[in-house]
Amino acid sequence: MKKFRILSFLLVVMLLSLTACSGSSEQSSGKSSDDSEGKIELTFWNIWTDPSPQNKASLKQVEKFMKEHPNIVIKQQNIPHDQYKVKLKTQAAGKQLPDLIQVWPGAELKPLVDGGLVQPLDDIVSNWDSLITNKDYLKDYQISGKQYAIPANVTPTSVVYYDKDMLAKVGYNEFPKTYEEFKTLIKKLKDSGTIPIALGNKAQWVLQSSYISTIGDRLTGSDFLKSVLETGKKKFTDEKFIKAVGIIKELADMGAFNDDFNSIDNNQHRDLFISGDAAMMIDGAWSLGPVLEAAPNKHIGLALFPQVDGGLGDPTAVSAVTGTGIAINSELKGEKLKAAQEFLKAFYGEDYYKNLMKADILVPANIEPPADISPQLKEMAELTSKKIAPVYDATLPTEVTDIINAGLQEVTLGTMTPEQLAKKLQEAVDKQK
Amino acid sequence: MAQPAYQRNTNVSVQEGIEKKQKNVKKTFIYFILMIYALVNTYPIIWMVINSFKNNIEFSKKPFSLPEVWQFENYKTAWKTAHLDTYLLNSIIVSVSAVILTVFLGALASYFLARFSFKWGKYIYTFFTFGMLIPVHATLVPLFLLMKNLGLLNTHVGLILPYIAFNLPITIFILVSFMKSFPLDIEESAIMDGCGVFRIFWHIILPMTRPALATVVILNFINNWNEFSFALVLVNDESLKTLPLGLANFAGQFTTNYGAQMAGLTLAIIPTIIIYVLLEEHLVKGMTAGAVKG
Amino acid sequence: MHLLSQKKWPILIGLAPAIIVYFLFAIIPIVISFYYSLMDWDGFTKMTFVGLANFKEVFNDPIFWQSLKNNLYVLAASVFGQVPIALFFALLLNRKLKGGKFFRTVGFMPVVISTVVISLVWGMMYNARIGLFNQFLKIIGLEQWAQNWLGDPKWAMVSVSITIIWQFVGLYLIIFLAALQNIPQEIYDASEIDGASGLKQTIYIVLPMIWDTIIVAVILCISGSLRTFDLIYVMTSGGPGHATEVMAMYMFDKTFSSTRYGYGSAISLCIFFFSLALIYISNLILRRKTV
Repeated sequence: MKKFRILSFLLVVMLLSLTACSGSSEQSSGKSSDDSEGKIELTFWNIWTDPSPQNKASLKQVEKFMKEHPNIVIKQQNIPHDQYKVKLKTQAAGKQLPDLIQVWPGAELKPLVDGGLVQPLDDIVSNWDSLITNKDYLKDYQISGKQYAIPANVTPTSVVYYDKDMLAKVGYNEFPKTYEEFKTLIKKLKDSGTIPIALGNKAQWVLQSSYISTIGDRLTGSDFLKSVLETGKKKFTDEKFIKAVGIIKELADMGAFNDDFNSIDNNQHRDLFISGDAAMMIDGAWSLGPVLEAAPNKHIGLALFPQVDGGLGDPTAVSAVTGTGIAINSELKGEKLKAAQEFLKAFYGEDYYKNLMKADILVPANIEPPADISPQLKEMAELTSKKIAPVYDATLPTEVTDIINAGLQEVTLGTMTPEQLAKKLQEAVDKQK
Repeated sequence: MAQPAYQRNTNVSVQEGIEKKQKNVKKTFIYFILMIYALVNTYPIIWMVINSFKNNIEFSKKPFSLPEVWQFENYKTAWKTAHLDTYLLNSIIVSVSAVILTVFLGALASYFLARFSFKWGKYIYTFFTFGMLIPVHATLVPLFLLMKNLGLLNTHVGLILPYIAFNLPITIFILVSFMKSFPLDIEESAIMDGCGVFRIFWHIILPMTRPALATVVILNFINNWNEFSFALVLVNDESLKTLPLGLANFAGQFTTNYGAQMAGLTLAIIPTIIIYVLLEEHLVKGMTAGAVKG
Repeated sequence: MHLLSQKKWPILIGLAPAIIVYFLFAIIPIVISFYYSLMDWDGFTKMTFVGLANFKEVFNDPIFWQSLKNNLYVLAASVFGQVPIALFFALLLNRKLKGGKFFRTVGFMPVVISTVVISLVWGMMYNARIGLFNQFLKIIGLEQWAQNWLGDPKWAMVSVSITIIWQFVGLYLIIFLAALQNIPQEIYDASEIDGASGLKQTIYIVLPMIWDTIIVAVILCISGSLRTFDLIYVMTSGGPGHATEVMAMYMFDKTFSSTRYGYGSAISLCIFFFSLALIYISNLILRRKTV
């Protein structure tokens, strides 16, 4: 009973502190609005929660802006990526979005535009004319010809990372140029007792974003998705697309991946590659920083998925998407709108792009790279700058993306054939119309 | 603790000796089972604590071994990334207030639903159990809109109220079934003495319900302490956010800091264990010292 | 029946606060959600009334039926796994035992641990390459029994269910322990005089006395199993393919990934009615036994 009394005493104290706290927080919030009289406050949501180099660079940029603009206060909310999207959609339903919103291209941005929740940046887009000279990089954030955000980074989603030493051991000093040779390499690596390709597809998007987006492009060419979705001239049941899915199946069937590829995630597959258990991994450019940080002495080679016989695509193309755009709430007007535009102009400045490059991130800006960026980033930039192919989940409607995500996993398990997946996808596309 | 009966025997006959032996074998067997049970149940906690000292590579390459280099700074990272300083306090405020209110309101309602017979009693009870059948995620958007209209977005109260509402069903469900099992004549003598309805509740029913109350307090606390979705959508202010939101911060879009995440989760589990240990004796009051002694 | 039942106002005072809070913050959102189930709404643009079209689509959706099947699987595992195991340990721990408190605390730990930790540690134990289970099978020479536990659609649901059983035994354990406190010591003593002890005593004396609590536990199993979400979401995300998809998760994906609020609400309404029907049926079965 004594403990019970102590506990109830504690509870009462806590309850009292609650009333005290809620009182004080009201006070403090009241105070802050007093302080900010004459100041413009902008709310801003982003996903910069973990202290990764890219997030640090972004947060630094916000702070710098506030220092240079003492009359503008940026009130941030950092929410982890997965939860961010749930929160964004809930608040969008209640028309309670913040003034500045981090947005993703394509399928994620479109409903915000359709719902009239964000406004175009057409007034200020000319600001980046000299910085982002390749206008293709702006396309991802365009809807019906209007620009809604400026990209901070370009993210190739499908780069082959390989361990030069491990490949040399089985007799490869160069990365194979064709898919047939690539398969021979895989067999040799497998015979030597290592995992040829590390893959963690538990969350289902890896095979879609890092595999089919580029492998599909090798076979179907880069206009395929557009003509499937918009003109309907091509269909998912196209034999080229089925063959592309077949390549993923073939890789799984020949044991190119670690056994547990459907039950580990992309963090874990990266660790398999870093630790030398696997000789290669096919992953997005986002893994470059973490790999270099964790294994600075590893001899890492970078390559694109090799050419496939009979494919219509350009073998130098790589699926890529731009990211970290910030959109402006459609309700902003007058002074606040000006402040928001001011923020975007300052945020996406040359110094930001330089800092990102130092953090091993590729950027859309045409700037002189800082002297101290890693040689691997230079190599990555070289490799991926030739031709850009669309990424499936940034192009397809989410319902179709869900089907291809789960479907590719089933194909690797043999519970679905590439033909069945193609048929299912086409049905979903037809239903959207 | 009372002495086991067999030890009190002084003249040990052969027959009793065999019995004693059998009892000892039985006891050893019971402890054997319990030891395995304990190991299976505590292993994940041990694993979590050990892995909270690892870096990412070790974490995924050797998940079951001890860390080669102990990364104590994981705890520092965890404290900062999860904003433990503010979020922890908020979680305590929200969870504790919600628990007290839920259990009090729930116990009061259960008392009337279990010990009184009136026309609507059964329907009200059924009505409450409906709340246990709805997946919470379905209510996120409506609840958000509701809170917006009530002006309760971004407040602790706006979080506490749904926590009460969604925990009342299971609280009432457990308490009613418990209170129903008391014999009817319990209150009768009290009524003869002229006790009011609420005094009977406070002085007779509540003390008798202590094991079940301890159960629902623990359940409520765990539910509120770990609640994520409501906290995610109903609170915007950094200074009002709760711990589960902070604990999600370790997962970036393409990277997760597992070591720091384990460190954060290790810290977060401590209050729950404290609450449980404090309440444990009430859970089993009957066996420790008899029902009356308090 | 009761002496106090004539007076109405205390009942009203006692019930009103709980009912008001519950009605405002649980029932109203649920009803609004049900209203959405008749709509086509993406949360961004205007909603349009579509009648029962969402329900028609739900009933023709093979993934929905697959997820219902998985929910029933979890339900069976819970009722026939969690309840008996919890009962066994509750009876074992409801006696004077040295270290009883320790074992009771330890028994409850899985309920306390974060779902993230549970799914990580079990995920690693199930792992096909480095997992403890396969290594153990290898050591005892049963390597052919080794499986890709979470990666193989045949085994994924089994593996997930075992973890779910493990996770919630502690919950029912404390509920049963609390119920066992209601049995007065005299009853044990009296039955021992009659010569009933051990297993007999348990079956004929103890079980009937906590039968109501067992029904409570079964109903909690039903409501919990049909809404199960967190653990599977982190452990497999419904994969491989849709092999471990459950209704609440499918509803979540449809709502927040595809932003089809109407469709998601229709699924949640189905969850509600399936649970209700199952509780009704289990009540019929379990109550009859007692009479």
